Amino acid sequence: MTTAPVLEGRNLTKYFWVKQGRGLLARKSPVHAVDNVSVSLDARKVTAFVGESGAGKTTVARILAEITKPDKGTVLLDGKPVQAGRPRSYAKQVQMVFQDPFASLNPVHRVRHDLERPLKIHHLVNGNTDKAVDDLLERVALKPPRQFADKFPHELSGGQRQRVAIARALAVKPRVLIADEPVSMLDVSIRLGVLNLLADLRDREKLAILYITHDIASARYLADTIVVMYAGQLVEAAPSVELTDRPAHPYTQLLLSAAPDPDRAQPPVLAGIGAPPSLLAPPTGCRFHPRCPHVMEVCRHKAPPSIAVSPDHIAACWLHVDPAERQASENGVLATGPLEPEKSKR
Amino acid sequence: MTIDSTTLTQVPVTLERARVLRIPRSPKVIAGLVILGVFSVVAIIGRWITPYSPNATDTQNWVQHVLVPGTGGDSGFPASYYPLPLGPSAAHWLGTTVFAQDAWSQLLASTQATMFVGLLAAAIATVLSIIFGVTAGYIGGATDEGLSLVANVSLAIPGLPLLIVLADYVPSAGSSLVLVAAIIAVTTWAYTARTLRAQTLSLRNRDFVEASRVSGEGPLRIIGVEILPNLIPIVAASFLFTSLTAIYAYVAISFLGLAGSPTGSPPGLWNWGEMLREGFANNAVRGGWWWWWAPPGICVALLGTGLALVNFGIDEFINPRLRTSGLTARAARKAGAHVSTTLGLTPVMRGAATVPNTTPSTADAVLEIRGLSVDYGYGDQAVHAVRDCDLVLRRGRVLGLAGESGSGKTTLALAAIRLLRAPAVITEGQVLFHSKPFTRDNPKETIDMLAAGPHRLREIRWSEIAVVLQSSLNALNPVTTIGAQFDDLLRAHRPRMSRDERYTRGVELLDMVGMNGDRLRSYPHELSGGMRQRAMIAMALALEPQVMVLDEPTTALDVVTQREILEELMGLRDRLGFAALFITHDLSLLVEFADDIAVMYAGRLMERAPANSLFRAPRLPYTHGLLHCFPPMHGKRVPMAGIPGSPPDLRDLPSGCAFHPRCKWALDQCKHDVPVLGSIPGPNREVACWLHRNGATPPAELSLAEPGDVMRERLSQVNIQ
Ligand SMILES: Nc1ncnc2c1ncn2[C@@H]1O[C@H](COP(=O)(O)OP(=O)(O)OP(=O)(O)O)[C@@H](O)[C@H]1O
Ligand SMILES: Nc1ncnc2c1ncn2[C@@H]1O[C@H](COP(=O)(O)OP(=O)(O)O)[C@@H](O)[C@H]1O
Ligand code: SF4
Ligand code: SF4
Ligand SMILES: [Mg+2]
Ligand SMILES: [Mg+2]
Repeated sequence: MTTAPVLEGRNLTKYFWVKQGRGLLARKSPVHAVDNVSVSLDARKVTAFVGESGAGKTTVARILAEITKPDKGTVLLDGKPVQAGRPRSYAKQVQMVFQDPFASLNPVHRVRHDLERPLKIHHLVNGNTDKAVDDLLERVALKPPRQFADKFPHELSGGQRQRVAIARALAVKPRVLIADEPVSMLDVSIRLGVLNLLADLRDREKLAILYITHDIASARYLADTIVVMYAGQLVEAAPSVELTDRPAHPYTQLLLSAAPDPDRAQPPVLAGIGAPPSLLAPPTGCRFHPRCPHVMEVCRHKAPPSIAVSPDHIAACWLHVDPAERQASENGVLATGPLEPEKSKR
Repeated sequence: MTIDSTTLTQVPVTLERARVLRIPRSPKVIAGLVILGVFSVVAIIGRWITPYSPNATDTQNWVQHVLVPGTGGDSGFPASYYPLPLGPSAAHWLGTTVFAQDAWSQLLASTQATMFVGLLAAAIATVLSIIFGVTAGYIGGATDEGLSLVANVSLAIPGLPLLIVLADYVPSAGSSLVLVAAIIAVTTWAYTARTLRAQTLSLRNRDFVEASRVSGEGPLRIIGVEILPNLIPIVAASFLFTSLTAIYAYVAISFLGLAGSPTGSPPGLWNWGEMLREGFANNAVRGGWWWWWAPPGICVALLGTGLALVNFGIDEFINPRLRTSGLTARAARKAGAHVSTTLGLTPVMRGAATVPNTTPSTADAVLEIRGLSVDYGYGDQAVHAVRDCDLVLRRGRVLGLAGESGSGKTTLALAAIRLLRAPAVITEGQVLFHSKPFTRDNPKETIDMLAAGPHRLREIRWSEIAVVLQSSLNALNPVTTIGAQFDDLLRAHRPRMSRDERYTRGVELLDMVGMNGDRLRSYPHELSGGMRQRAMIAMALALEPQVMVLDEPTTALDVVTQREILEELMGLRDRLGFAALFITHDLSLLVEFADDIAVMYAGRLMERAPANSLFRAPRLPYTHGLLHCFPPMHGKRVPMAGIPGSPPDLRDLPSGCAFHPRCKWALDQCKHDVPVLGSIPGPNREVACWLHRNGATPPAELSLAEPGDVMRERLSQVNIQ
């Protein structure tokens, strides 16, 4: 538990500026895509980010992969801030797998090309590239590798393509793998195969994996820790079984009650119906307050602090703040700014 | 945002390698290539095979014709003698010009200059457009704005007039092929550059480009190796287009006499425009000397046609929908399908609709599908997307249709209501709609959906059978308000309603799907995805249909919205009594919301059972596998295996049971014989699997006890009329 995280994002914030209105009246306003999110990835652990579409999961992933520059916050690799401009040394440590396996492989190139390039760019092979390509394909269970190396993407099924994409990410022997919804575009029957592959890579190659998904059941299956995002912010983080069995944040509770679950005896009661807010003008205080069944006065104007509900289990919700303190904070006596959830966790 | 449904109209925007490299075999393209080939050969060797020099005067055969006899007088100069061109003869295949020059030789010699200008201009324009377009698109930002400005300025330069002025001002300009080509290129490259920029812009953010950036690839290689190959079709198309433009422009300035005469000074080059000019200047048309002016004209037209035909072929590559629609009408006729051009009317193969037995198989059947087979394409190229499917939708019940992507769920449902377009074709089967409208003014009757004409189908669709598609998130008209769209719909189908009644009905409908009546004033873009989908459902319900076809109605939405909408829909079903065919790949969702479930695999229905029976006691190995693909939300975490292998390719189906390569209980028989759906013990259960036939003993996993009376009876409240 004391090992330092491999990759860490601290207080990441990203606004996208979009045009509002038409013609001369158009002005730019910010979409608060990610607000003050901190995350850390450990070797040999899968951390899952769960949240609905638009919650900011992809944006966090892209910031961590240094594709997008954050407005605020820093990305640290082994505790050292990463230089801007995505140096090659960074590419060698942190790799990403994209959501759509049909878009992430260039249709005009053979699988071999996709796997050779990273090897060549980082001078990882001298001489026998074919052998290295075969090894990679075997690592992602595409056997016999010879048969797959010379195929074009359109000759592969979705699951096979996603395996090729993972193999490409593994080519540089990274220490961190960021997987943005790697199975959501795949058929149900082949999803588990890819999830099991990720679990296997975590165990065998000690990868630190960030698994992004909107499917909380698959996060529970694969991940060691689940982090729940809502409207650009972290709302809860806990070990995966703990989080799904004892959700502490009202939004997590809503998410769990809405997830399809054939084992359920009766239809669930949805507490907090409605849709996520517009990120152009997110609600003040707790962003979930317009939907929250437990909303209190303080929630409307003050962002809740991150509270350790139990060791390793953090929730950003006023419900878990001691009533006296809550009262005090409401009166403006005690300024409890949002803590960094990941920090207080460790 | 789970599985991306292979919506029937979706085509990948990038090209597959195979398509880039394979030469199209359409007759149009071949004709175009032949024309271009012939002209190219002539352009290269034309100079050497001319029987005469194009400038040489054939004085021997020069016939002098007295136009105005007697006016010569005693001047001693035959002023009134006018030279007469010769018609085609053995010596001069295309006759001669008024100057006794051989027209055939001129034609041959002209090809080179004309084509050279075309190719050179196209080459310059292409290089310019790639450099500017791709750079602007890839780098973006200020560079993009700067380069776009340059492009727009050069678009504003009128090409032909500039050329005319320039050629007039500097006589040598017109006769320099390179200069002419350069001017044409400079004034046309920007069109292509704009397209390339837009394409690059979209490719730049494609995952595969981002992926190579993440792997540490530098920008030059990304542009050259990842992006450019995907632009080849556009580049090729615009190359052809620019050549065509350049050829026309060159012919035009020559025709105006600005490209220099081959016999003048400085000497111009022979080209078709020059031939035309001389012909017209010397009364070739009035004189009826067609052999002089017609051949160059035809050549210009032919070369243009050739380029256009090849360009058309490239367009078909870029846009595969053109390809299918163009080719299939003929193929369909050959195959004996009656293809109606009416939009959204699935063709039916002649002889498919035999005289139907129209008695409902159960009293409460509303939509009955019997032995339906649907192909995409005809003859050898046909993909058998749906084969021999039987399905009965019962009044007031929800029938779930589950299966992997590509298993044929959408095809089955949409073909049954004849909503698929060619190349889809119904090859076999019957579809009966036993109509008992909720609105009193329409009669009870049974409609044979495969025999019904377009008019009849239009009447039924929407008012009796409504469809909500996954892509209906975009199906609302973006330029009018939700209210106006409700209003149009009601006005068309309920002409007797007054404006106020229509408005009240609109508010009522929105209220039904949990939306505020104010939203009638909203434009679709002002609504969230969930609200748009609700509005679509409200519209589908507007005319009180008896059947709702829901094709992945909530797949694009988040789980909370999904559950809200589905619960509302089920509540409405209880209240209004419509039957629903609910398609989704998410079996766990169906188990909660459907009364009965049918499971499809590779175009066939494989198992049918009440939802709870199917979930508690699956009989089909595939269903069993699917149910074990959803990690549970409770209890200890245990490793799960999913189903090995991947879904089959419909073009190349395994023999026998299509599932056998992935089935852990496959018998020998499964490799050879196709199992058909047949009853097995249990409430309304059917399965297509050899494990449940001929006294075979199914494994314990597939012979669990029926759940019995725990089955939910949602139906009790629904009153069946
Ligand atoms: N226009 C078309 N031309 C040729 N084949 C087609 C066409 N449209 C669909 N197909 C093929 O028909 C088969 C069935 O497609 P269909 O859309 O019915 O699948 P589905 O079960 O609805 O899948 P999904 O869950 O992805 O929506 C697929 O193999 C598909 O590739
Ligand atoms: N390039 C962009 N420009 C403008 N808005 C964006 C851009 N990328 C993402 N957003 C917005 O940021 C929010 C978070 O998006 P994203 O990180 O993609 O969420 P998720 O991956 O959880 O679905 C959304 O509201 C989205 O519309
Ligand atoms: S902080 Fe308040 S509004 Fe937000 S989730 Fe907790 S109780 Fe609900
Ligand atoms: S018929 Fe045979 S291969 Fe097909 S599902 Fe049944 S046991 Fe498996
Ligand atoms: Mg995303
Ligand atoms: Mg579909």
